[in-house]
Amino acid sequence: MGEKPVQAQGICKSYRRFFGATTTVLKDISMEVETGEIFGLLGPNGSGKTTLISIFSTLIYPEVGRLRILGLDAHKGRDEIRKLINISTAKPNFPWSLTVKENLRHFGMLYGLYGPALSQTVRDQIDAFELGDFQDMKFEDLSTGLKQRLSLAKAMLNRPRLLFLDEPTTGLDPDISMKTRQLIQRIHEEEEISVVLSTHYMPEAEMLCDRIAFLRKGEIVALDTPQNLKNQLGLGEKVTVLYEGSVGLAELERLPGVINVFSAPGRVEMMIDRSAENLDMIVKHFAKARILDIIIMQPDLEDVFLELAR
Amino acid sequence: MNWRGKLNKYLASAYKNWIISRRNIFTIFEIFFWPMISLLSIGLLTKFLKVDEGMVSFLLVGAIALTILQVAQIDVAYVLLFDMWSKSIKNTFIAPVRSYHLVFGALLFGIVRGSVVFFILVVVSHYLFGFNFLAGGLLPVLIFLAGVFAVSAIIGIIVCISILTFGQKADVAAWSLSGLILLVSGIYYPVDVLPLPLQAAARAIPLTYFLEYYRSVFIPEQHNLVLGATLAGLYLVVGLILFDRAIERARRTGIMLRLSE
Repeated sequence: MGEKPVQAQGICKSYRRFFGATTTVLKDISMEVETGEIFGLLGPNGSGKTTLISIFSTLIYPEVGRLRILGLDAHKGRDEIRKLINISTAKPNFPWSLTVKENLRHFGMLYGLYGPALSQTVRDQIDAFELGDFQDMKFEDLSTGLKQRLSLAKAMLNRPRLLFLDEPTTGLDPDISMKTRQLIQRIHEEEEISVVLSTHYMPEAEMLCDRIAFLRKGEIVALDTPQNLKNQLGLGEKVTVLYEGSVGLAELERLPGVINVFSAPGRVEMMIDRSAENLDMIVKHFAKARILDIIIMQPDLEDVFLELAR
Repeated sequence: MNWRGKLNKYLASAYKNWIISRRNIFTIFEIFFWPMISLLSIGLLTKFLKVDEGMVSFLLVGAIALTILQVAQIDVAYVLLFDMWSKSIKNTFIAPVRSYHLVFGALLFGIVRGSVVFFILVVVSHYLFGFNFLAGGLLPVLIFLAGVFAVSAIIGIIVCISILTFGQKADVAAWSLSGLILLVSGIYYPVDVLPLPLQAAARAIPLTYFLEYYRSVFIPEQHNLVLGATLAGLYLVVGLILFDRAIERARRTGIMLRLSE
């Protein structure tokens, strides 16, 4: 095996509960992450994303399976791996009464930084993540967005070769989410590091990820580039028709090329296979009604998500 | 990584505990209020009972030992307790740290706080109760303190292992274990007065031997310091091994993740 950031084969994980019952969280996960890519783990809540990222980052161990991180065996080489990776978690938490600067200093020390190099690294991260105005503010007094920035700054203290980001924008306002995504993109480009990112926000995955694995109930149900996933699933195009009058929706559903139909008063949304050139037939179906507008859209990752999460 | 980098991995825990303690008003209670209450109540009891000098030294040595033990052991336990309460255990254990980095860093801060408490209690007990802690010279004091700090580390390690094994509810161990020590290791009475099974338990606790050694400075009696030191060293090594195993187990069972959620 080469030195790919992540090479996983047959990873399984279950948690033991009371009275010996077990809950299976991950089933037979096999995947690889290529050097320098941003790899996305997508899936609904409870699909196993956080558990998988925790296993990849050696925070917890799988029950079954082979895992190599940066070419090292994830169990035998765990001490070495932990020097080369870092993580920014969903809902970041740090010791409450330590300030931004003190938290970074503390974690810098845990990574073996010392003296002027430690002070300089802390300063660099404070500057890079625009935390200068808040460096003396206690963690408990920070806003959610600032906590997330601190978490990202902490994750860069040891200049990792592989960075894990577990739902980095969960709970953030849309503008702060966008800034955080830009920050992630910048770190990835400037530091040339590989990133494994989990999210359930489709625009985030579409904006950041080179490849995506969809998780559902602990299994990978699809793995490819965002574009290939859309193509492979044959989702067709989304056609929305706004109209006045009456339309036979049951007949519409039976037309060739129509994959599915969602309707509301005065509005019909259809997924259609345009390669069958059925648009004309669909429009004719609305002959008895007055069409107000027709919107044709390429499917987005949200549609892929909905299709796969079904 | 050179020695300064390695040293900083130990000092990280001391740094965190120092900052948190500095900002916590209850630190004053931990290092001034409760130690003074403990010393004064025992000191006044000796006056009320009109006990001889030997018995005063017996009781005050016990009171001071227990107080330092409680201060230092909670500092070692804090290394995980603070992380657990703030749900940041994940961040600590994603870093390349081992049990000994956490324990010895936190113990260092515990030694500093314990020494401050010791100094205050020694001064107060000298002026209020006429007890000279340094009567036997500095070396017995240093040996005695080393023993108390070693036992503090062992108790702190047990608390950390309990947290990683049983989860958040185990934090009660941080305050209960020193009570057990109070009962069986001869803090306020010789272990001979205990029922036989508890005497056997007392003989398994290193603090018993360090107390007997230090008290022999004031009241000549038999002691077995070598056995106490051997037990302390053995328990520390075994404790650190078990702590590392508890960390690994918490990674296998997923408790490590649940403690952060």
